[in-house]
Amino acid sequence: MPAVIGLGVWAGPLQATVAAKAPDRTPEQVLALVAQSRVDALSGTIEQTSDLGLPQLPKTGLGATAGAASWVDMLTAPHTARVYLDGPTRMRVQVLDQLAERDLVRSGPDLWTYNSSDNTVTHVTMPARGFKKTLPSALPARVESPDQLARQFLSAVGPTTRVSEGPQSRMAGRAAYHLILSPRTTDTLIGSVDIAVDAATGLPLGVTVLARGQEKPALQVQFTQLSLAAPAADVFRFVPPAGAHVQQLTLPQRPVAHPDAKLPNARLPDAKLPGVRLPGHMIQGETHRVPVTVAGTGWDAVIEAAAGTVSQQMLDNPAVAAMMHPVTGGRALSTSVFTVFVATDGRLFAGAVPLERLQAAAAAR
Amino acid sequence: MSPSPGDTGTTGPGPAALAVETHGLVKRFGHQLAVGGIDLAVPQGSVFGFLGPNGSGKTTTIRMLLALAAPTHGAVAVLGQDMPRSFRTVLPRVGALVEGPAFYPFLSGRANLHRLDAADANSPAGTRAARVDAALDRVGLTHAAGKKVRAYSLGMKQRLGIANALLAPRELMVLDEPTNGLDPQGTREVRSLVRSLATEGTTVFVSSHLLAEVEQICTHAGIMRAGLLVAQGTLAELRRDGREQVRVLTPDMARACGVLARLGLVPEIAVSVPTDDDGGLVRAPVPERRGEPADIVAALVADGVRVRGFAVEAGSLEDRFVELTGEGFEVVE
Amino acid sequence: MLAALAAIPVLIAVVVRLSAHVPPGRGPVFLDRITQNGMFVAATAMVVAIPLFLPLTVGVVAGDTVAGEAGMGTLRYLLVAPAGRIRLLVVKYLGAVVFCVAATLVIVLAGSAIGALLFPVGPVTLLSGDTVGAGQAEWRLVLVAAYVTVSLAGFAAVGLFISTLTDAPVGAMAATVVLAIASQVLDSLPQLAWLHPWLFSHYWFDFADLLRQPVTWDSFGANAVLQAGYLAVFGALAYGRFASKDVLS
Ligand SMILES: Nc1ncnc2c1ncn2[C@@H]1O[C@H](COP(=O)(O)OP(=O)(O)OP(=O)(O)O)[C@@H](O)[C@H]1O
Ligand SMILES: [Mg+2]
Repeated sequence: MPAVIGLGVWAGPLQATVAAKAPDRTPEQVLALVAQSRVDALSGTIEQTSDLGLPQLPKTGLGATAGAASWVDMLTAPHTARVYLDGPTRMRVQVLDQLAERDLVRSGPDLWTYNSSDNTVTHVTMPARGFKKTLPSALPARVESPDQLARQFLSAVGPTTRVSEGPQSRMAGRAAYHLILSPRTTDTLIGSVDIAVDAATGLPLGVTVLARGQEKPALQVQFTQLSLAAPAADVFRFVPPAGAHVQQLTLPQRPVAHPDAKLPNARLPDAKLPGVRLPGHMIQGETHRVPVTVAGTGWDAVIEAAAGTVSQQMLDNPAVAAMMHPVTGGRALSTSVFTVFVATDGRLFAGAVPLERLQAAAAAR
Repeated sequence: MSPSPGDTGTTGPGPAALAVETHGLVKRFGHQLAVGGIDLAVPQGSVFGFLGPNGSGKTTTIRMLLALAAPTHGAVAVLGQDMPRSFRTVLPRVGALVEGPAFYPFLSGRANLHRLDAADANSPAGTRAARVDAALDRVGLTHAAGKKVRAYSLGMKQRLGIANALLAPRELMVLDEPTNGLDPQGTREVRSLVRSLATEGTTVFVSSHLLAEVEQICTHAGIMRAGLLVAQGTLAELRRDGREQVRVLTPDMARACGVLARLGLVPEIAVSVPTDDDGGLVRAPVPERRGEPADIVAALVADGVRVRGFAVEAGSLEDRFVELTGEGFEVVE
Repeated sequence: MLAALAAIPVLIAVVVRLSAHVPPGRGPVFLDRITQNGMFVAATAMVVAIPLFLPLTVGVVAGDTVAGEAGMGTLRYLLVAPAGRIRLLVVKYLGAVVFCVAATLVIVLAGSAIGALLFPVGPVTLLSGDTVGAGQAEWRLVLVAAYVTVSLAGFAAVGLFISTLTDAPVGAMAATVVLAIASQVLDSLPQLAWLHPWLFSHYWFDFADLLRQPVTWDSFGANAVLQAGYLAVFGALAYGRFASKDVLS
């Protein structure tokens, strides 16, 4: 947020000079623009802000929030990340924390993560293909690119959703179309989703999720700076620094996939609390076999995870406990756009729906 | 706002030119009236004594002359130019000591003067060292110039303050109680310093609550009382304004008093003069044109008063001062 | 005061040298890297000095600018010299900024010196995990000093303004330092997020952006704009107050 203001100040004169308006396009044309978008090299800065109605932990000032509190922090505090892309196999994401940084560097088969606060490195050597979808679970960096989020929402366009277009704006100094997806049902907490699309390239530039009846965006991820030039090659070069603790991770031989799951596979680990580094054995797949079912297909879909999917240890964590509040039949985490409900028997329900829907779903079985 | 006094009558260096001129100068601190509308006129080349008891508004007036404080009402002209507007051209020609000296205690006397001189962007740096040493020499501080001011005595600080006012050739010196804290020797030195400045043509505006000091060195004086300028002019004018006095030296003091009272005078026995063989002193102010002095002597003698001495004197400045400012120790608010 | 600031890195280095292994994630950022590389002494000292010691010393200097002269009585002699009120303010402010430069440089240089004396010095790992040579690292530390100096410039203007409000230097210093602490406390309260970008202390810790690869200049720019804003506003306030102030001390 602060950097946004700063950038706004800097970008001011710049915008004035290149404020030309892009040609008008229908929502369908904008969608097509997105579909045919061919941007494979970029470097940019992404801002994530959220107002989910969750308590935010006060910053201590002297260091990044460490350990268990870090994912809570991810949900509640604003974040800035720099993203570098060059072709399908070279990528770097830097989550810029205060006095710290979390990095993800992929260069060919090597995938590195680095966490400056504890000086640790993980290294994964990837097979030639097929792992792209499972990787996000291992990312320490959870600021998702607008590109990823936008595509997910676009795939949901259907009978459940009204697609309209908002007025053009400028984002990261570029003209942008705005696609507005509004759920047709009123059973969901989500009011609308606004996807900003670069008028020149069709690259999604930002996603804003508005909760029903809330004026401030519940979640906003957007580019504040963007360059489509290929980043310098040494951005993708990573050598574990001297003195760092290096951990080698081995990937399972076969990518874990759930052909019957309704949501893209990559979404599943999200339910398991972003930002928590998964121990190697979890990636190797035990936990992924726990049955996860999805009831419904639209905005009001409810995810159910059987007891034991989310470990008790995780739920008892003080940072988590502070956000869960006791409700009839269990404990719940309520935000302005999604709700998580843990029944007393350990089953977990989640969805972009009000708590009563989850409680009803729990009671129904 | 009254019209600017700087615009009138001060264009030429004629005898009437005023070094300091104020019109209806008022300074209020909240509800308190510190200066209540004064019209000062300090002729160029004069040594002007600014007299008044404690709290009568002398320092406050001086602050306004030097653009340290803004007048609530009224106008100030110093060296023919409006203050505080023209402070940039006026102040370099004015040396000042305001309400005692103030220096950086951790610097030497010489370093302090260097720093204050450098505070004026237009003071020539090339001659600074020489001017500082000359000023120190003039106040007799050369030997202590390298000492930290922290280690100075009250009188040494006062001298250093005067030295600061002397850093450059000045047309006007404003000295607020310059002899404060000085030993008799120092007081004498200040007096001769003021005289020598006056001979050089510098106008000296010196405030004091010590009458003797003013009487000894000043050509002009102004008397303040409770924020008002109750009199100003040359010393002779001030004395003349004071009423004449009959002084009778006689051993028959009570009888003399009776005679004088009968003549319509208000006699008093001067306690300050000790009674001896010749008797004591009886004095009485002469009311406006009340007969010939010789008639008074005749009346005294006729009544058998042994007159050992008789005089009709012009009023002393002290009487005038007391008359104007009151005698008590009470500070007039 | 500069000596006290120089003592911070020296103290940190000596303590780390004498103590056993420092576990990562404990104590101030970078503390655990010192034993591997002496260059981190300066960075650690900066992290330690920014919330309290630097605002404290700069607050003392800035709060003293005008009020100190008034308290000693020298203000009237400077003005009668005549120094000119605007010029006096400008010179006093520049003096405070020079102190900021000296203070941050002292921390960096003393930290580098004691670090080199007590610990091995070599290529430095940046926050991004990339490694740069010792020369480049020292250069970045100097950039950090510049960043922190800029960070303190707006704060010094606030102190200058407060200093024109009173003739009691201690009061002005205390008020200035209290403001620095209040600003940091407000900045840590998420409920006041709307206020954060306007707090002069908001970007103080973002000097770390100079320790990333590639360097992020955004926060440097945003910080400079913010501090320039504070300088403009509080400089104008100080001028407005001082130009018409009766000097009665
Ligand atoms: N800063 C101030 N605030 C309020 N009143 C003040 C202030 N300075 C002076 N005064 C009042 O103004 C009046 C004149 O004070 P000033 O200092 O001019 O007297 P002075 O003639 O110089 O006395 P002294 O002989 O004691 O130096 C006094 O009644 C004093 O109380
Ligand atoms: Mg006085």
